[in-house]
Amino acid sequence: MRTLRKLVLGETWTLPLGIAVAVGIAGVLRLVAGPGGWWEDAGGWVLLALLVGAFAVALRIRR
Amino acid sequence: MTFVLTAVGAALAVALELFESLAIVLAVALTRRPSAAIAGAVAATVACGVLAVVLGPVLVARFGGDALHIVVGVALLLFGMEWLRKGVLRLAGRRARSDSYAEFLAEREALEAVPSPPPGRFDWPGFVIAFKGVLLEGIEVILIVTVLAARPGGLAPALAGAGAAVVLTVALGAVLHRPLRRLPESELKYVVGLVLTTFGTFFCAEGLGVHWPLGDAALLVVLAAWLVVSQAAVHALADGGRRAAEAAA
Repeated sequence: MRTLRKLVLGETWTLPLGIAVAVGIAGVLRLVAGPGGWWEDAGGWVLLALLVGAFAVALRIRR
Repeated sequence: MTFVLTAVGAALAVALELFESLAIVLAVALTRRPSAAIAGAVAATVACGVLAVVLGPVLVARFGGDALHIVVGVALLLFGMEWLRKGVLRLAGRRARSDSYAEFLAEREALEAVPSPPPGRFDWPGFVIAFKGVLLEGIEVILIVTVLAARPGGLAPALAGAGAAVVLTVALGAVLHRPLRRLPESELKYVVGLVLTTFGTFFCAEGLGVHWPLGDAALLVVLAAWLVVSQAAVHALADGGRRAAEAAA
């Protein structure tokens, strides 16, 4: 089971958690924007930005 | 374009995982008995085939429409961003480079310590090692190809890419183990991470009701964005490593 978990979720918890948070926030923003709102046009870039943030946290990049 | 990107992503992912399996199977075949290595590899391939036949229809039957897009997208992000993370760390020198040939040598050395069974008896330890090696890499292959194939229009390119990769890898493995040494595995795994992460971002957003400007052509923009972000991460991590080394010196 440990091997299977590593295969699916990877070596760290940071990345799957970050993806879950990014997709969760995107889902909330879609609900807030409502049907036919700004989300349909710009939501993809918002999700991309959230995922980039999750990726940076997983890599622990600090300035 | 989506067809080509899907086929390339599936082909690279399958080829790289198969090379890792090949390293283990070759190590068993060369240090113990080829029959045990081949039997273990074939048994694991059959098990992976059964998993593929079951998993694909279950995925499509349980999730439809937007939910399927989100499930497929998140699964691609889980695989893709992990491959990308490791790729960035390798290219920045923060992690050992991926090297199937080194794995082959390490596996061969470990196997030499395990006594072989007497003549006439089947080599079960060799069989189990080859079976486990192929099965673990094969499951990841099946998961990635199934997820790529589960999205609308994804079946043909995913299977075409995977099929081409299987033929290529088996052909190279049949010739010699030398190709393992020449493969730029770290760079190729980084590319697979880029492609899978791009698809994951694209489909997840579609599942969340996004209409991408430019349609499928937006895939190239998303790919370019991930390329820029990951290359910036490589440089930031490499610079950080150099500064730390200079401070320690």
